[in-house]
Amino acid sequence: MNVKRTMTLNLTDSEMKVLEELSRQKDLTKTTVIRQALRLYQLIDARIKRGEKLFFEDPEQKKAELMVL
Amino acid sequence: MKEPVEIIDGTTGQFVDAELFDEITVEHFLETKKLWRPLVLRASEKLRAQGRQNMLPDYTNWDWTKKEPYLHMLATKFFGITCRKALQGIEVVQTENITGDCQCRLPVQRGKSLLYVDYLQVAPWNIKVLMEPIGEKVEFRGVGSRLMEAAIRFSIEEGFKGRIGLHSLPSSEPFYRNECGMVPVMRDPRKQNLLWFEFTPDQAQAYLGGDI
Repeated sequence: MNVKRTMTLNLTDSEMKVLEELSRQKDLTKTTVIRQALRLYQLIDARIKRGEKLFFEDPEQKKAELMVL
Repeated sequence: MKEPVEIIDGTTGQFVDAELFDEITVEHFLETKKLWRPLVLRASEKLRAQGRQNMLPDYTNWDWTKKEPYLHMLATKFFGITCRKALQGIEVVQTENITGDCQCRLPVQRGKSLLYVDYLQVAPWNIKVLMEPIGEKVEFRGVGSRLMEAAIRFSIEEGFKGRIGLHSLPSSEPFYRNECGMVPVMRDPRKQNLLWFEFTPDQAQAYLGGDI
């Protein structure tokens, strides 16, 4: 197992509410939600740096939206 | 991470010591090309000559070197098993991805996060349908099961409580359904209609406690 390092994260009330809601929905601890967010951010960033594009698609409206980080 | 695991000698039926590790490198990917691929080709030729090419498992043509960009991604984790100085199996799991495959689909846990088993492959000399045509016994058994256990333990360690999901190739469906006891949930039209399997936390614990 990798050694984990500790940091303090200061969040606003609304940010904390979002974190708590995601934690409940995903059945993850708040720490894991933050770690998941970091993993996703790195993944998307790496692919965009390689020249790829990220789209969100609404299959019903047949509408695609380009996401830029 | 390196830890001892036991797999079964295909000839003697006795448990033998192997090593589970997570420090996968490009060298391991190259080993699959150098040592695994020729045996797959040899077995394929025999199966073709016997008119049984449809018996060839559909995961034998995977190119692990294409996974190199994911070696340093936080969302990706690789595990391997070595025994007698050779790579006996390899898998890659994802804690997060952009395809939605890290979300549960089984109604009792829909929307919760899970660990996605992206690829799991054992060495060709450990696959019965490949060794039989060339008249040899499998070298080891239980490699796939040990890799599944590693995935479950990682799922627990990462806060997913043992929840696991994967798309199974047709030739692997019996393994996940019968040997692992995973739940077949649905065919996924986004992924070549492959069958989606899931483990709930209780099923994952039952698998870890089993004697497979």
